[in-house]
Amino acid sequence: MGWNLLAQTATEPSFFNGPNGTIWGWIAGTMLVGFAILIGLLYMPAQGRKYVIAGFTFVCGLFYVLLWLVPTPHDRNPDDVPRGKVEEISFWLSDAVNVFGGLSNILVAMLLLLGVFSLARIHIAKIIKQQKDWVFSVCLIGAMVLIIIAGYNKWLTELNMDPAQLEAIGKLEPNAWPFYKKSQDFLFDGLLQNMDAAMFSVIAFYILSAAYRAFRVRSVEATILLATALLVMMSLLGLVTLYWNMGVDLITRGDPASFWNNLKLKEIADFIGSSFRAPGLRAIDFGIGVGALAMALRLWLGLERAGGSN
Amino acid sequence: MAMPETTNKMFGEKLLSIPRWIWFVLVIILATIPQFVSITIPNVPEDSSAALYKELMTLPEGSTVIVQTDWTKSTQGESRGQFDALMRILMRKNIKFAFMSVADPQASEVARNALKELNAERIKDGDREYKRWEDYVSLGYFPGAEGKGKEIGESMLDAFKASKDKDQNNVERSVLESPVMKGIEKVGDLSAFIVVTASKSITIALERLQDKVKMLGLVTGVMGPETVNYYTSNQLKGLSIGLKGVYDMETMMEYGANYPDSSGKNFYNMKKYTDVVPNWPGKKNMDRGTKYYLTLHFTIGLMIIAVIIGNIGVLLTRKKGNE
Repeated sequence: MGWNLLAQTATEPSFFNGPNGTIWGWIAGTMLVGFAILIGLLYMPAQGRKYVIAGFTFVCGLFYVLLWLVPTPHDRNPDDVPRGKVEEISFWLSDAVNVFGGLSNILVAMLLLLGVFSLARIHIAKIIKQQKDWVFSVCLIGAMVLIIIAGYNKWLTELNMDPAQLEAIGKLEPNAWPFYKKSQDFLFDGLLQNMDAAMFSVIAFYILSAAYRAFRVRSVEATILLATALLVMMSLLGLVTLYWNMGVDLITRGDPASFWNNLKLKEIADFIGSSFRAPGLRAIDFGIGVGALAMALRLWLGLERAGGSN
Repeated sequence: MAMPETTNKMFGEKLLSIPRWIWFVLVIILATIPQFVSITIPNVPEDSSAALYKELMTLPEGSTVIVQTDWTKSTQGESRGQFDALMRILMRKNIKFAFMSVADPQASEVARNALKELNAERIKDGDREYKRWEDYVSLGYFPGAEGKGKEIGESMLDAFKASKDKDQNNVERSVLESPVMKGIEKVGDLSAFIVVTASKSITIALERLQDKVKMLGLVTGVMGPETVNYYTSNQLKGLSIGLKGVYDMETMMEYGANYPDSSGKNFYNMKKYTDVVPNWPGKKNMDRGTKYYLTLHFTIGLMIIAVIIGNIGVLLTRKKGNE
């Protein structure tokens, strides 16, 4: 026990973790505890809630700060034993990374669930009250339910098949697929994925329209920006690059040492990229990094008012 | 007699007021026509693409890599081509891979479907089928990219002890029991960590893993400019950017990098990149990149024309105003 509390060891089979890998007991138990905590937080006075959230944030943040500050074991073998208190802390931190990582994954997954819940709540209310455009809400809820059913149906059906059966289905032509496969394919690949692609492709129209209307030579700066953008765009096109460079080769007469080789499209694009774009982006990234660090410190230390009190 | 207002419009004003629908129709036409034309456009691969190709071609046969696939159909124009080229190389070199996603819940399923198509292509070409569990496994979707990256950096065994995939008997088992993950205890045991992404997930992975394993990236054009910083600082050992990156990969798969053909000539001359890397003769190499590269020419060409027309319109209108 002690420092090795979080070390990963094989668990004995039980109701919660049976020999066939059943984890439904764990899921049910965790959900009950999770909801109890949530309800407790909801009914807690705002001042108390602030301290609970700030404390939780601080402990989680402290873990990663310690992980960064304390040297972690390198090339550690499973049977390595810590020598002294410092190594014990180091080993414990290393073991706990998995637990904290798992917690962060669960929290983000909960956010996804919260999104689904929020979406469902708003749109079901809209349907019940028959507010404006409630038909679209019916489409949304219907589509959500259908794709959940189709996805789970496929997973569960295939889980109970033997390999030969699964292989035989895999070799079938799409029109001979069983209903579970056809429905999932129609909803996921046929509709969702293609609508996703269609939505994204609309951007091309807006980019063109915006370029035509907004990309104007209004000042010296705008002219420089326009010329740079055109050169970089042209450098992406193999045919344009080929003929441009052939033009330069006519001037240089194939002399690799000629100064005019610098006017080749790739050279110009590389110059723009490495001398202006990359340093500019580095500067922006650096600024964002410093800002994020400041923000993280404020959140960690509970200095952000909105994080705890509201 | 009064003339209609439209006929009185100056030429410059006319250039400035081309209806939006005309541009939209032109985009549709120019993006569609090249899909039916298959030509090999001259291309000199970028150095970053060549470095990526070399790293992939020198991965030890039979080793394991992780492919973090964070793209869906919204960016398939670029990402699918990158994913296909990457998978073709890995499969031809018998490299085992485990794929995972951190950016989008759909991404794993999209990758699985793409793999099915690539497998069908292999079987059609007489190559062996790449088998789930024995040759590749799906590690799953992890919504907390930062935490997962840290876990992977600490211990592969702990990071994926809860991940399951179906074995050859269609039974769900821990991925750690699969031949793919055999002997992989630390991230450094992988021969590479490859990210195919349309988002910032590559930055999150780099921040946590770049000093522990060889990292390679295949990103969309939008993500390219900021990701290239990690390539120039040698944190990424190879990088394919956007559709040009896809075409670069396909060109090198077909012709090699600085690799002379039977007559002793190179298909193209890379000035700065000098490493010689062979090609894959007799295989399907030119695919989506080749198909879409002409479309890129047409659509960027249209955009350049639109910008020029708009600016001529402004200049003519200004000139008329000054008179």
